[in-house]
Amino acid sequence: MSQLLEATFWSATVAGGLRLATPLIYASIGETFAQRAGVLNLGLEGYMIIGALTSLYVADPTVAPLGFLVGGLAGMALAALMVLLSIRLFANQVVVGFGLTILGIGTTGYIFHVTTDVGGRDRQVSLPSEIDIPLLSDIPWLGDAVFGHSWYTWLSLALVLLAGFVASRTIFGLEVKAVGEDPDAAAAKGVDVLRIRTQATLISGFLGGLGGAALMLGSVGRFQPYLTANRGFIALIVIIMASWSIWGAAVGAFVFGFFEALGFNLNNVFVDVPIEGLNAIPFFVALVILTVSARWARMPRGLGENYVPTV
Amino acid sequence: MTSEPGADPATGTPLSVRGVSRRFGSVQALANVEFTLEAGEIHALVGENGAGKSTLAKIVAGSIRSDSGSMSLFGQPYRPTSRREGAAAGVAHVRQQLSLVRGLTVAQNLQLGRPGAPAIFNAASARAEVERWSDEFSLSVPAETLVDDMPLAVRQQAEILIAVAWGARLLILDEPSSALGPLETRALIALCHRLRSEGTPILYISHRLPELAELADRLTVLRSGRVIVEGADVRAADLREVATLMIGDVSLLEVNRPEIERGTSRLTVNDLSVSSTQEIGCHGLNFEVAGGEILGVVGIAGNGQDSLAKALTGQAKLASGHVVVDGEDISGSARQAIAAGVAHLHEDRSTGLAAAFSVADNATARHVRSGRFTRFGVRLADKIARHAGELVERFQVRPPDPAARASSLSGGNQQKLMAARELEKNPTVLVAHGPTKGLDPEAAKAMRDRCFAAAQAGGAVVVISADLDEVSDLAHRVVVLYRGRVTDAFPIEDMTSERLGAAMAGLTETMGATSG
Ligand SMILES: Nc1ncnc2c1ncn2[C@@H]1O[C@H](COP(=O)(O)OP(=O)(O)O)[C@@H](O)[C@H]1O
Ligand SMILES: [Mg+2]
Repeated sequence: MSQLLEATFWSATVAGGLRLATPLIYASIGETFAQRAGVLNLGLEGYMIIGALTSLYVADPTVAPLGFLVGGLAGMALAALMVLLSIRLFANQVVVGFGLTILGIGTTGYIFHVTTDVGGRDRQVSLPSEIDIPLLSDIPWLGDAVFGHSWYTWLSLALVLLAGFVASRTIFGLEVKAVGEDPDAAAAKGVDVLRIRTQATLISGFLGGLGGAALMLGSVGRFQPYLTANRGFIALIVIIMASWSIWGAAVGAFVFGFFEALGFNLNNVFVDVPIEGLNAIPFFVALVILTVSARWARMPRGLGENYVPTV
Repeated sequence: MTSEPGADPATGTPLSVRGVSRRFGSVQALANVEFTLEAGEIHALVGENGAGKSTLAKIVAGSIRSDSGSMSLFGQPYRPTSRREGAAAGVAHVRQQLSLVRGLTVAQNLQLGRPGAPAIFNAASARAEVERWSDEFSLSVPAETLVDDMPLAVRQQAEILIAVAWGARLLILDEPSSALGPLETRALIALCHRLRSEGTPILYISHRLPELAELADRLTVLRSGRVIVEGADVRAADLREVATLMIGDVSLLEVNRPEIERGTSRLTVNDLSVSSTQEIGCHGLNFEVAGGEILGVVGIAGNGQDSLAKALTGQAKLASGHVVVDGEDISGSARQAIAAGVAHLHEDRSTGLAAAFSVADNATARHVRSGRFTRFGVRLADKIARHAGELVERFQVRPPDPAARASSLSGGNQQKLMAARELEKNPTVLVAHGPTKGLDPEAAKAMRDRCFAAAQAGGAVVVISADLDEVSDLAHRVVVLYRGRVTDAFPIEDMTSERLGAAMAGLTETMGATSG
């Protein structure tokens, strides 16, 4: 119990939270773009797991950054199916999205199974080292909690800044919002609705793939079937909690990661409490936040509805 | 500049449309349209609902393509393949259902889709630009309010402002006044005159004739996709004649209308007003309908029909007045309306039915609260299915499958299903809003017979419709709605194109005012 009063307990929990949040940040930022554009992109879990497996298989014989990049491209390739089936051929978004998730989980499990020799060598990568920022990392408490993360985490934070800028300060960001809120009016103003939705969905696939790759290369190091363990769906919850704001998604991802880390760390304190109960903490918190945020959350008006242009 | 020798872009005819046609499925929306917009003029394009006005506007704007024909813009051949190209060529288009994107501000809308806008959105300069133009035209368009939170009139001003800021060389306004009050319409007319004086020609689409006399220089009449009058001088034109031309012949084809005995008054509408922020509402309506009588309410869509239908069926809160059925005041209570035996054939079948539910659930929906099909709150599926089966048989819904989803039925059968639900028992009052709209002849006849049957059984029937044939087939008596008011009322025998056209286009009101 007394551990809860120690600063190091909390600095370790914040640090762990940020580490656990990293894949979620990539995935939820990308999905926010897709959903702001009106595409309910439920294949996210699939993009993540394809990204995770691909990144491992590329990074193992080469280098981690290459694996990371190719993981993103693999997620994007799966998202291209979403573009083809839902955006271009107008198939139901929910059906296609779930289909892609199942396809991603199934395919990666299968590939893993057939490419791993029984009892043979598992493909594996070594986990990245923390980047020490001179001076800052030495600040007591804060240094442990906030600094001293891998480059996957730092890159995800840079991505948040970039994505926030793109969403609110560029014409592309306005176009994304426009085709998600009011596709008819946007088309009448000369915006190519299908093109913007395509781009936003591909971005979501790429970032979803990066999220899976960050999970694999940044904190797990080896593949296991269903490695992503619902993180794609958690990202979907994060987006609702954030009311489709980029900044909110980043904060939401961290909140999720923080409570997940808290669950782990509390497990060392309250050894008698079953781990399953502690693992439920982030979901319980999400439920509370969702209930509260329902007061102000406003989803994009055109979310989930296909747009069929008249020419 | 790539202008050909001899074709000066500044002096060429702003817009010339030659032989343009466009078809949607089986509907010929435009047939060989010839049209010219001259420099410095406001040219009114008038016509009934469905005449093809908006289609022509969209083709000129570049949003949709014509099937054949050609256009030129300021003397240059003009073949836009997208709205973006149309905008880049200087054609501004303010759509009937407006095209400001909701969820964004006016400043954001200013930059969205703007030809040549930089990729980075500069909020401060966009705001400044909106404010500058707003001052310039003495408007009060807020730069940073969400479009959703602005009244319709301001949205429209914002759209025109954006068109001007984009450097429009030609402005198309599609029914800009249809949702505006008289004061707002005056402001709009003043703004149009201002733009004309600065050299922007305007194509102004409307079917409200009175305002055109003040606003426009020339007018063109479209009917069923064809040009009936091309470019007549508005000041010299006889607007009553124009109104008559707009609606064409109203023929009283005798569709073996059954003899129906007239009873005593069953429906009384007394000083009825409904106010609505989204539509025109209705104002001070008075009429009575007797048992066995069919009253036709005609008018161009958007003149208060929706508000009236809602008021008669208890679904709208009344700003004033009463709706009385058999002596009982049902104003503002849908439940009381149902209890009093008011039946409603909704104009929009997708709203009037629960599309995702089964035929059986839809057919028996009026009994939801009666307890007839439940025991201890549990729905009795067998009883529902049996009863629905009988109704489906009686009203000839095809396929006769109570378990089918309502959305899987054809339009005609959806209409029959809605009739099965509403007309299971003889209604005291039937409010039929566009009952034969979009139906094939056989289904349309079935619906007409339902209306006659309701009247024969002693019900008071109100047919609300923008389709003059539908009304002339059914009604004994007609009232005309214009801007939410009754502008004329007469027995069906007295209906002529001239009288109806004048009342529908708002001339009767104006004539009434000027002749005292
Ligand atoms: N996108 C479309 N698909 C099918 N039919 C259409 C479409 N747009 C217009 N129409 C049909 O074309 C005709 C002309 O419509 P419109 O140009 O909107 O008329 P108006 O603006 O004069 O009321 C109508 O019969 C309408 O139903
Ligand atoms: Mg129109």
